Amino acid sequence: MNNTTKAADRTADAFGPDVQETSSQHPAMRLLLTNEFGLIALILVFAVLFTLLNPGFVSKFSLFAMGRTAAVNIMIGFSMMVVIITGGLNLSVGSIGVCAAMAAGWLMQSLGLPWYLSLVGGLGVGGALGALNGIVIVRSGLHSFIITLASMSIFFGVMIFLTHAGSFREIAPEVVAPGRMKFFGVISPLLLITFVVAGLLSVLFRFTATGRQMLAVGASPQAAELSGIRVQRMTVWCHALSGVLAGVAGLMLVSRTGAAIPSMAGQLGQDWLLPAFLGPVLGGTLLTGGRASVLGTLLGAFLVTMLTTGLLLLQIAAFWVQTYLGLLLLVAVLMDLLRRSYLARKKLV
Amino acid sequence: MSDVVFQTKGLCKRFPGVMALDDVAMDLKKGSIHALLGENGAGKSTLIKIVTGIHKPDGGTLFLDGAPLVLHGPRDAIAKGIGVVHQERNLIPRFSISENMFLEKLDSHPLKRIDYQELHRQARHWLEMLGLDADPAIPVEKLSVARMQLVEIAKALALKSHVLLLDEPTASLTPHETDNLFAVLNRLRDDGVSMIFVSHKLEEVQEICDRVTVLRDGKNACESQPMEGLGRQDIVKLMIGRSEQIPNWQARDRTGNPPVLELKNITTAIGHRAVDLSVHKGEIVGLYGLVGAGRTELAKSILGKYLVTAGEVLVDQHIAAISNVADAVGRYKIGYVSEDRKTEGLVLMHSVLENVGMTVWQRLAKGVAFLTNRAIRTQTLPFINKLEVKAPSLDQLVGNLSGGNQQKVSVAKWLAAGVKILIVDEPSVGIDIKTKTYLHELIRELSDEGTAILLITSDMPEMITLADRIVVMNDYRVMGELANCREYSAMSQGIMNLIHEAVEVDMSPVQATP
Ligand SMILES: Nc1ncnc2c1ncn2[C@@H]1O[C@H](COP(=O)(O)OP(=O)(O)OP(=O)(O)O)[C@@H](O)[C@H]1O
Ligand SMILES: [Mg+2]
Repeated sequence: MNNTTKAADRTADAFGPDVQETSSQHPAMRLLLTNEFGLIALILVFAVLFTLLNPGFVSKFSLFAMGRTAAVNIMIGFSMMVVIITGGLNLSVGSIGVCAAMAAGWLMQSLGLPWYLSLVGGLGVGGALGALNGIVIVRSGLHSFIITLASMSIFFGVMIFLTHAGSFREIAPEVVAPGRMKFFGVISPLLLITFVVAGLLSVLFRFTATGRQMLAVGASPQAAELSGIRVQRMTVWCHALSGVLAGVAGLMLVSRTGAAIPSMAGQLGQDWLLPAFLGPVLGGTLLTGGRASVLGTLLGAFLVTMLTTGLLLLQIAAFWVQTYLGLLLLVAVLMDLLRRSYLARKKLV
Repeated sequence: MSDVVFQTKGLCKRFPGVMALDDVAMDLKKGSIHALLGENGAGKSTLIKIVTGIHKPDGGTLFLDGAPLVLHGPRDAIAKGIGVVHQERNLIPRFSISENMFLEKLDSHPLKRIDYQELHRQARHWLEMLGLDADPAIPVEKLSVARMQLVEIAKALALKSHVLLLDEPTASLTPHETDNLFAVLNRLRDDGVSMIFVSHKLEEVQEICDRVTVLRDGKNACESQPMEGLGRQDIVKLMIGRSEQIPNWQARDRTGNPPVLELKNITTAIGHRAVDLSVHKGEIVGLYGLVGAGRTELAKSILGKYLVTAGEVLVDQHIAAISNVADAVGRYKIGYVSEDRKTEGLVLMHSVLENVGMTVWQRLAKGVAFLTNRAIRTQTLPFINKLEVKAPSLDQLVGNLSGGNQQKVSVAKWLAAGVKILIVDEPSVGIDIKTKTYLHELIRELSDEGTAILLITSDMPEMITLADRIVVMNDYRVMGELANCREYSAMSQGIMNLIHEAVEVDMSPVQATP
């Protein structure tokens, strides 16, 4: 096992124990380079802009509502992110999220299970559906685009059939409470849940073998396989995790609205698709896989939420908001490109 | 003076954290093969990439036929008659050999139908010249690394450029294919073509080059000197600042140790027949053969990537059912250093630390809750340091390292893995002579600690330095084996005899191993 012995003693220390932190570049410039920095700047700029245009933007209620919506959007972004890192995508996030929410509602209302068991059940359904996606993808060898496009319809259709398109409105007060509660008048507990999940995801990708293996699989399946990593299993895990996270987002919506409603994410859960992609893409998660930014996704989804809130507050029609969000996606991607090429020219990359 | 075809003056190129080229000069004469030498990361490939318009220099000038040359991209260079074989493969895997070879020419008439018969015919001409017997219509991804390299060379030759830059063209070739290539290069030289030849195999350089430029840390250690009068040790001194150390190890016999890996009469789905092989504890068994002998494929069959259809694989004298690579690595502790670092060995978009750590994550994470960079560093740093991986930091993306340094990372990751059986496939491709010695020491130490090592290499001196026993393969069969007496000429003669016997009695049953 221990073969780091003799060779070690004779080596000159080319990399001392803490070279890792030191870099030849100016740390400040490195910071400028990061996607996260760009997002924080944008968030600040828009925050000032909206406040100037309408001071109501920073009212306690507005901030509270924004945080609560952001909590859900960020979670949806995470759900997509963990699949994007494998180089795939998951179009059925919305569908799975609704299924998980409906399952929890059914367990609570029809089976009368305690609220916590119902929530676990809902998340279990989310995870199982995600895993199912993953299994079909690795077994068939087809691209996740096709499989999840199909499963989006199938999951949703079966759910409608089972529930007769009816809602579950007898949601336990313990579940509904966090959707209404405010800490210090502005912070929604849902946002805190999101932060906890973000923390857990960061730990996963940074400090666990599984998380690192997921990234390696996404970046180069061949190299990962020959390093002894179980490529297929990791892919299935990623999809299962995506399902669980979609489930969390669905349950958050239940908490907010006090009911599990089949249409809560639109037809086939499609309303979730734009936020699902906006968060990770703005946050710098590579669509080809292999790299993830939890903080970036969080900031990206927050920016999107803030823009939506701000524009609606300015009484801009909802369809324009959609248009602006689409534009934002383009502008952000272009800005990122410009920033990178500028810094590359200055020899800072 | 008039016979100088190409020249660089004061060339500079900076990458973040490294000055890759610093005031570099060289000139290339008509009808000359000019060696460009230097350690890994010295700046050779960077120079070549500037001359072919891939990188823009930060300073300095290029001259072609006496006139200053400004390149706006790779196509520009081709148009000016500068052809290149890059160190890294640049073929499109799904395209056929001939499509790859004539990619630049295919789009010259957008609407004209491509005459594939003609294309294949032309391709075959160049392939035959290099002694590569392959159907130009098959996709490149079906070829072994060495054959891809030959296709890459054929592609450059087909451009009929008058300046030809060859960046480690022989890295994955055996002496046999190299001889073919050299015959072609000599003919080109006689026709007046000027060539730059990069290689870490000094015997090749001495054989074919007439002038030499050596780079050290991006600077000229010598500029366009005639090769005449320069001995191997002189060149080595220019490159690394001191003379070469070749380990002189005694012959060992480890066949008395218990066998760790045994193949008994193996047949595989990809064509191996009746393969017998054993590697004992602490033994280094060399596997030699010409390109296409099926050595890499045998390694991958052991790993469970290709199906073993008959016969037995034994690990520690128990029958091993290996159905996938993860089993081989996780359960049976078999590691494999791939010959193809770019696609199989490394994750180019990840950092050095992430790459070397890949094989130890699982082990480090066991029991301990968190996997920290510190733990990974402790585990892998000795190997990174010993192999002198040259990188601004461990966070540098592997894709940004020089070719040789990438190779070091690809090897280091398995040296750190703590496996029981290690299969090393062409471990020193692209590694400079200084580090090669260190690498050999590491492999030898590993075997002294009990690791069973199966060494696949086309580098005969490396084989003779390292192996305890040499098994010769040809055409997916084992032709015989020799104990290594560490006498170069005797060994290479013996190996070649086994191969040639094989070729002569091609269809007859497998020879019994002595
Ligand atoms: N794209 C890049 N980004 C950052 N650094 C680079 C890049 N390309 C090369 N370098 C650095 O420039 C230096 C010179 O690299 P180069 O590839 O020219 O070396 P080389 O002499 O060809 O070495 P080798 O023998 O290993 O092929 C190295 O330190 C390398 O890390
Ligand atoms: Mg190079």
